[in-house]
This record gives sequence, structure tokens and C-alpha cells, in this order.
Amino acid sequence: MATNFWTSTHLKELLEQEEVDVVHNLDKQRGITLDDFKLIKLQMTNYIARLAQNVKVRQRVVATAVTYMRRVYTKRSMTEYDPRLLAPSCLYLAAKSEESTVQARLLVFYIKKIYPDERYRCEIKEILEMEMKILEALNYYLVVFHPYRSLPQLLQDAGMSDAIQLTWGIVNDTYRMDLILIHPPYLIGLACIYVASVLNEKDNTAWFEDLRVDMNVVKNIAMEILDFYDKQRTISDERVNAAMHKLGLRK
Amino acid sequence: MSNRSSGGNNRPEWLQQYDLIGKIGEGTYGLVFLAKIKSNRTKSIAIKKFKQSKDGDGVSPTAIREIMLLREINHENVVKLVNVHINHIDMSLYLAFDYAEHDLYEIIRHHRDKVNQAINQYTVKSILWQLLNGLNYLHSNWIMHRDLKPSNILVMGDGEEQGVVKIADFGLARIYQAPLKPLSDNGVVVTIWYRAPELLLGGKHYTSAVDMWAVGCIFAELLTLKPLFQGQEVKATPNPFQLDQLDKIFKVLGHPTVDKWPTLANLPHWQSDQQHIQGHKYDSPGLYSVVHLSPKNPAYDLLSKMLEYDPRKRITAAQALDHEYFRMEPLPGRNALVPPQPGEKIVNYPTRPVDTNTDFEGTASLQPAPQASGNQVAGGMGGPHVMGNRNIPRPMHMAGVQRMQQQNMAAYNLASQAGMGGTMNNPGNIPMQRGVAAQPHQQQQQQQQNQLRRKDGMGMPGYPQQKSRRF
Repeated sequence: MATNFWTSTHLKELLEQEEVDVVHNLDKQRGITLDDFKLIKLQMTNYIARLAQNVKVRQRVVATAVTYMRRVYTKRSMTEYDPRLLAPSCLYLAAKSEESTVQARLLVFYIKKIYPDERYRCEIKEILEMEMKILEALNYYLVVFHPYRSLPQLLQDAGMSDAIQLTWGIVNDTYRMDLILIHPPYLIGLACIYVASVLNEKDNTAWFEDLRVDMNVVKNIAMEILDFYDKQRTISDERVNAAMHKLGLRK
Repeated sequence: MSNRSSGGNNRPEWLQQYDLIGKIGEGTYGLVFLAKIKSNRTKSIAIKKFKQSKDGDGVSPTAIREIMLLREINHENVVKLVNVHINHIDMSLYLAFDYAEHDLYEIIRHHRDKVNQAINQYTVKSILWQLLNGLNYLHSNWIMHRDLKPSNILVMGDGEEQGVVKIADFGLARIYQAPLKPLSDNGVVVTIWYRAPELLLGGKHYTSAVDMWAVGCIFAELLTLKPLFQGQEVKATPNPFQLDQLDKIFKVLGHPTVDKWPTLANLPHWQSDQQHIQGHKYDSPGLYSVVHLSPKNPAYDLLSKMLEYDPRKRITAAQALDHEYFRMEPLPGRNALVPPQPGEKIVNYPTRPVDTNTDFEGTASLQPAPQASGNQVAGGMGGPHVMGNRNIPRPMHMAGVQRMQQQNMAAYNLASQAGMGGTMNNPGNIPMQRGVAAQPHQQQQQQQQNQLRRKDGMGMPGYPQQKSRRF
């Protein structure tokens, strides 16, 4: 169902962490480790967001594009599906499925503009070919749910309307991880509210207890988010570059 | 993972599971083929081929919308997408649907031009009920169809689903819960005869009520065999003002007033008084005389509620299903084509014309195919229905097309078996079909069921049963 999460393909296709954290054999042969795999996906998330800013599409399109990219890498290797082509192609497809179509030539133009690195360059034709490969890899499941929609209402209910920007930013950051492939978006949203409560030193225990959700899951997601923030400080450009380098040159 | 066929084999694996019968349709998006599944010769499939859009912008947004929605939904009264295939060589996309032999356009035309007789009440009511049932499912899942018209409402031919209505063609359908852009950005939708007045008057944020208006128009057409509002379309871009269409509507339904339709005043074309639309005066409305129904007839009551000017007051699909009309004899049934009363005349509708000159690669032989071959494969199809070789599609190459993975297909077939979930999405709490698994013995028991249907409340899940209805 298009907007009934409970009968959606999104819910049915959720994965376990162990299923997501699998480095494909072809990539392993290039020396790519699980850490590299995650770093490259993080790098590509940033790439998609930056490109999206330039072509002026909204956050939901970015979120859908990142979800597509992460879903594809649970099925296909980076060796076969070069991230530097897959990322903009996911944005291209997500823009269509979110009814905000962006022309491929516009993407190609901005890629050239914002990334002087030759390895990011791509042609319109390559994006169009990749679009079809993505459709296939996604098994044509295109409807993606995100935590954004229910956020304002939940925050208001929790008496945290003032924390909307903070929470929204945390939700954006969750796309730098694979959470959207593993957990239902409403739980991710609640975890973000939980993190925001912690950061704001607001005690929301009673409110959370009133929700009929598994608080253990919410807290675990929140811990992952906080862990991610801790680790992110240690990520250097060198590490990212080293990981990207293992992928080698395109073509 | 992908089992791409090797270069030497120019019939990709996915294609080998089908036998092509011929071409059955052609649109701006591409071609539609009729094929049979080799492993199950009784099963026919319609394969819709989307061409790569000309402006070099990849898969057409129309195809994306259709795939995206149909992949999520599963309802007896919505056409079933059974497979998607991609040909990477010519970048074309194929959607395989369960094939429906008839559509309302052909059924209405057959009655008007061939039988010269109205469609029987049971059939009209059953078609309408199933159409509303499918639409209620779509609307309760926040999907607007936006292009309902007789040719998009299919009816299954012989087989286990005989006479079951299927809503098709989701190329304009979209989710309307949280659009990122105003809905009018997609350009004007809905073929003009079935277009709701709020759209004709330039409304931008329209709702699922536009589909109900179209259903009203289709209902009237089923009754009279003539399009209800047959306006002359003004062809210009972008979105010209369709005065003639509004004129046709106002002549039948009377002049709309801000009194009865408060938001009328905010509609752009009304506000700007395009072509002095406000000043036109129309005589007293006469919908009942156009459809030859007494104003007291429940059918008329339902129709007039579908053709309510104010979209906010217009009846919803859920409310319509609960209307008295469906609780009166004859009760609607699952097989809309075969009335349950034994002895009642059964109309044999012609089968769809098939152009057997086109082969599966899309190349066409220039010689007309012998009609016998058409009759053979399409099951007694009349010779005159075979289409001429009007158009030779450009050749397409199917090598290198990937096949759907088995496990994924299995998962797909399970779609929505889990049931409807959140009942909040089913506002009227209308009993809904939860997948088609409930009718395993359909074919064998067709006849008994036809006779039994009226006694056991039709015995079909989701169909209105008088006992269980809430009044």
C-alpha cells in the first residue's frame, strides 16, 4: 500500500543488521573492509545531500535517494555499481518517485561544478542506464517511508515543539547510517526525539512510557545514533580517501 | 545474482516464458501486447511496453508512478501487475499484467451499436459496486487514480475471475497524502468528459473526489450508453479553459452557486470569470430526465450524490458502497457479466481486437496475418475485429534482458496478504477484499455459484451481504 506502512513493501523488506553489514566478495577482493563499506556509504550520503542542495530538491527526496543507494548495496557490489555513479542516479530516480523530477543533464552539470575530481564525472547516458539497474536491484519497490512526517506532531505531543530543528537535524543524520534499512521509520523518529531529549536534558520518561512501543528498540536506536556521533569525530578525510581509493578508477 | 542471457541468445529468459499473441494497444507511452504463459496456457498476460522518453530523460515518470503504486497494492478490483522486465539494450521497460478481455468502453459500445439494448441492471450495479470497491481501497490508501474513464475500467473474460472489474492504467495515479509540489504541477489530468468541475475551473489542490465525479459520469454512461457530458475539448497548452465541457455540465446539473458550493468563489477560472462563465444562465436542472430515472429511484439518488458540485459534499467511495441502491434487488455480484437469475439473457461481448502482425520483438511483418491464426489463439475472435496493420512499431532488441529473481517474485505475490493493517485508513470500515486466495474453486463451481449466489449472500468475501450491513 502506497501510504499504509503496515502493509508496505518497505516494512516487508526491512533487514537485520547482519544482513546489511555484508561486504560483497568482489569488494572484499579489493581490500574493502566493513568499515570502508560504511565510510563509502556515508561519503555518498553526503554527496547526494550536496547535489540535492544544488538542484534544489527537498529533504524527503534526499532521504529516499539515500535509502535507494543503501538498499542497492545490500544486493550489489560497489565494484559493479560504482558509488560515484550510483549516488547521483539514485537521486535522479528518487526525484521522479517523489514527484520532483530533475533533469539528468542538470545533475551532470552540477556534478562537474561541485566535484573537480574526474572520477565523479558522469554522462547523462550513464545515469539513465544506472537508473534502470537501480530499478532492478530494488526489485521495483520504490515507496519509502520516512520519520519526517510524524515528527512535528510527536514533538508537540511530547511538549518539545521548540526542539523541532534539533530533532529534524538528528533525523537527517540517521541517513548517514543504515537505520532506515533496519528499523521502521516511526521508531527511528522516536529514537531521534529520545536523543534530542537527552541533549536538551529534558526528562520525557513518562511520555515515552505512555507510547505503546518497545522502548528497548527505541533506546537501542538512540544508542546507535549517539555512538555514530562519537565515532564521526574520528573520521578523517584520509580514511575516506583511502577507502574510496580501494575502489580504484572508474572504467 | 543477475542471470543475464548471453549475447548469442536473442530471446531473453523472461521472454521465453511467454507466447506472443499480438498487439492489443498503442498509446503515447508505448505498446501493449497480449501473450500467454507457456506453463499455463489458460493464463493470458497483457504486456505494456514503455518506450524510453524522447527527451533523453530516462524511464518516464508515468511508468515510475505506475510501477511504484502497483507494486504496493493488491486488490481484487485493481489490475494485477505480475512482473516487470527491463531490456537494457534499448532501455525499454515492460510491465506484465493479468489480462482482462473486456473494458467498459467496449461493453458500452457493444450495447449501443450492436445489441441496441440497455445493459441489464444486475451488470450495471455489479460493475459500479466493484469499481467503487476498488476505488475505496485506493482512496483509503491515499491513492488518487485521476484518469478514470470507461476504457480504463477492465472486466475479466472467461476464466476463474469472469466478470470481475479491474481498475487499470495508473500512469496518472499518485499518492496524495504529502505531495512535495501542488497537484496541479502534473498538468491537467482526467480525460475531459469525466473531468470534475473543480478541475475545469482551475482548482489546484484537488482531492479524491475527482475520481468520484468520474465514477458518476461512468455510472450515467452505463445506464444510457452515452457519455453524460460530451464537451468539445479545447486543444491548447497549457491547460486551456474548457468552456464547452462546463457548459454541458451546467445544462444538465444547473448553474453552480456559491451558496451550495462555497469554495467555488476561490476557483481561479470562476474568480476571474473566464469567458463570462458566471453570467451564463441555465434552466432548471434535469439530470433525471437525461438518465431516464425517477428522482425517487435510489440509483438516481446515488448518481446525483456522485455528481455533487462541491467536492467536499460529493459522496465518497466508502459512503457510496453503503448506499441503499446496493442493498436493493438485484444485488451486485462478483461476476458482473453473468446475472445470477437463471434464464436471464447473457450478452456475449466481443473479444478485444488483436493485431497478430506484430511479433514479440516488436517487428511487424508487412503481410496481413491470416485471420485464422487470430481466431485460433485469441479464442474465437471475430475476423472483423482484427486490427489493420496501421502502424509498424520500431524494431526492438530483447537480448540481455534480466529476469526477475524467483525469490523476489514469490515475495511479491505475497504482497498485502498480511491484510489491511491500520483500520484508520478505512474510514467507512467497509469490508474489503484481502487478496484473492479465497476463491480457489471458482472455475469448477462457477455454475452452481451463479445459482446459489443470491441465497448465500453471494458467498464472496467483501461483497455486501444484507445481514451484515450496518444501516
